[in-house]
Amino acid sequence: MTSDPRAFFALDEGAATTSAAIIARLGGRWRLLASTAFPAVISTDAILELLVARLRAGDPSIADAVGAGDGAVGEWARLAVRGRPTGRLAVVAGAERAVAPFAAAATRAGWRVAPGSAERLDPLAMTTLLVDPAVDAVLVGAGEPPGADERPTLDDLAALVAAVAVRRPELPIVLAGAMGERAAQFELLGDRTGALLRAPAPGAPSSETALRSALLDLRAPADDPRRAIVQSIGTLADVLDRRVEVLEVGATGGLRAHALPGAGGDPGVVRWAIVAAAGLTGEEREDVAVDDLMAWSTMPLDRHRMRDRLRELRTVPWGDCAGDGALLRLAAARAALTRLVDATPDFGAMPAPDLVVAAGGAWAVAPGPAIALAVIDVVRRPGASQLAFDHAHLLGPLGSIEDPGERRAIVRDLIDELLAPVGSVVMPQGLHAGRPVGRVVLHAIRGTSELELTAGGIELVDLPPGETAVAEFEFRDAVRLGARGRHFAIDVAGGLGGLLVDLREVPLRLPDRHDRRREILASWQAGLWGGGDG
Amino acid sequence: MTAVRAAADGLELVSARPLLEAPIDVRFHMAPGDRILVAPGDEVLPGAPLAERLRDPRLEDVAGAPSGARPGGRWTGELGPGTLGLRRRAASATGELLFEVGDRWRVVVGEHHEVLPSPVAGVVREVDPGIGVLLRANGRGIGGTAALGGATRGVLTIAGGPDWELRPGAVDVGAAGRILVVGSRVDAETLTRARAMGVRGIVVATLPGKERRDFLASEARQRASLHRGQPFGVLVLDGALRRPIASPVMAVLEAIAGLEVALVADPPALVFDEPSIAIPAPDPGWIRVRSGPLAGQEGRWGGLAGLRRFGAGTHLEAGLVRIADEPPVALPLNDLERYG
Repeated sequence: MTSDPRAFFALDEGAATTSAAIIARLGGRWRLLASTAFPAVISTDAILELLVARLRAGDPSIADAVGAGDGAVGEWARLAVRGRPTGRLAVVAGAERAVAPFAAAATRAGWRVAPGSAERLDPLAMTTLLVDPAVDAVLVGAGEPPGADERPTLDDLAALVAAVAVRRPELPIVLAGAMGERAAQFELLGDRTGALLRAPAPGAPSSETALRSALLDLRAPADDPRRAIVQSIGTLADVLDRRVEVLEVGATGGLRAHALPGAGGDPGVVRWAIVAAAGLTGEEREDVAVDDLMAWSTMPLDRHRMRDRLRELRTVPWGDCAGDGALLRLAAARAALTRLVDATPDFGAMPAPDLVVAAGGAWAVAPGPAIALAVIDVVRRPGASQLAFDHAHLLGPLGSIEDPGERRAIVRDLIDELLAPVGSVVMPQGLHAGRPVGRVVLHAIRGTSELELTAGGIELVDLPPGETAVAEFEFRDAVRLGARGRHFAIDVAGGLGGLLVDLREVPLRLPDRHDRRREILASWQAGLWGGGDG
Repeated sequence: MTAVRAAADGLELVSARPLLEAPIDVRFHMAPGDRILVAPGDEVLPGAPLAERLRDPRLEDVAGAPSGARPGGRWTGELGPGTLGLRRRAASATGELLFEVGDRWRVVVGEHHEVLPSPVAGVVREVDPGIGVLLRANGRGIGGTAALGGATRGVLTIAGGPDWELRPGAVDVGAAGRILVVGSRVDAETLTRARAMGVRGIVVATLPGKERRDFLASEARQRASLHRGQPFGVLVLDGALRRPIASPVMAVLEAIAGLEVALVADPPALVFDEPSIAIPAPDPGWIRVRSGPLAGQEGRWGGLAGLRRFGAGTHLEAGLVRIADEPPVALPLNDLERYG
């Protein structure tokens, strides 16, 4: 934003969901006044009209103070990020072994990857793969230096991709690693509109990051919501001076980002990965997607019926959100989160974040405690964290503010409204299921409460949003909770789900049989999701 | 529109689905080796050959391509003995240039072709060898969510009501050459029988995943056979869970019954070219329940109902819909659609 408005609309126009909010300056600071979310097919102006009308109906004096009149929708600035359909990148190399690291980098840059190697595909099959109109860009790579298994194929491979570049002049081509030395062969083609880029081979971590950034630039413009969330999560970590992790699941993909605040004059660090398969229905292989969904579903549906429900969810992501549709949606969100976590094993080795933020349209209609359960079902990491939800979908729009100072100022103003507190989670590792394992004493402002702890389930301690407390844990045997020990005193904050002491196994082991698995998942869900029986 | 009016009416917060689409740009996918027979700007009639598809593409390494040869261009020359089937002598052949390495070209050749006829009349807009042909179809179309099988053409026939289900025994050779509107759902057995009876296509509201898989497997076997039958296509209007054909769509289908229409796959649509048939605009206040427990029911819009609590503790924006003569019922806006 370059002007100095009294109020503006924050818009996250995703592939399936349009989220809109009114942010206005009141009492010398920015405040979140209203927010809502609708399917992306609905006109943005109609959504904004509704928001303004709600604001006027709810508090006319505030509406007048911020100028929320008839002309607001046309006149107010819009801070918008816009999602686009996930692109498909054909990744080809001379040998099957050489394709894997390029494909892995592309996968974590948010591309859907169509891999191919000269070892596995003949030139006709590879040409067919590359000229497919569903392919949005091509990466042709070779190791630096090329391996012995790659060298004999490089001439043919370069000639084949150059021929494809002639057939499809609009197709961006990325020459990665040693293939970059053949750029002249492509530059001579002429009459091409598609970009020609060079990128390193993903050998060292810095090269992998450079390749991934180049591929992200190619796929997503600056106003991409996930790129923007990476920015805002860094700002949030700085403002809170805490380690923050965001788990975002949308219709077309998922984002995992881990931000460390700056310290000692050094800037903060944000690690990120965007995974297309981690969308709500993002797994393209239908059988795998059905398996993933059935693994987390609490609904007694057979495989065919589940496939049909999944297909409907893909066709109309916002349809059937209530009743058992909500259960199905949350099972799909868990499945997507599992794919996101599986695609980012390196994040698991990092220290537990102080704050975990759930974001994205997948969580849009779920109650807070249900979101908490879904996150801790999947992200099994011993330690203590606070959970929050990006309820107004503001992380994207705020991250699109280019000036870091301005972004920081707005985030600081909105810090109490930006995230809905879901609760605190304490997850010890090393417990033996079914046994009493110790107790927790909660020292809160309104008094002290004590709870015996039995391994194998989730203990809930009431702690409303806005309250803080000290939870004093005393275990019979040593457990891992950040460090290894028997006595821990942990600062916890309240939320919609209160304090969740997760005494289940880390990692979680569930029965293979679907009926038994469903029963266990449903029993955990019943404790945290009132009315979650559909 | 003012904010207050928007709140009172709210119909624009219900997703709108076009009843008819025009113009329709139909894409026919090609593979390297397929020979395209049309050029941009060509006008084509139904049945006109668009391309010859190569059934047995193979790669050959040849020298002597003409100067200025480009990938995707045609090549005619002579292949050495043994390169085409079991021939002992050199034979002339044609193919498509794939790419050049050194002074030699890789070309795609083959012996068996099949003609791809155009299912619609229209004008060729783009031709990309090895990739596809884009044709702007004359007329208007009804969009669907999926198409299976091939592009096809036939006389549209209403075989049952909007919530009907066609059974295998109800299909006989009397329906040969027709495209049948079969109601709410159909199974794979009926689809394969219809294909065997010479039916050209099926229009159905929903197709469950199991039936879809079974039909696609049968279709793949059919395509792999040496003798292929007439093209057969299936247009799915809605999705996988059973619901009747929407009444505005059914009204259009009834209006064009008896005409020759086409089913195309990309985009999935039924295309008809009869400008003289006037299709009345759908009632703007007519609402269809797209998803949820009442999926398929229709009624009249009664305005926004605000944020309401629904099953499983969800809070969703709702609208009032009067179904039949019942009192208005509050339903999630996300489950509703209207045709416009």
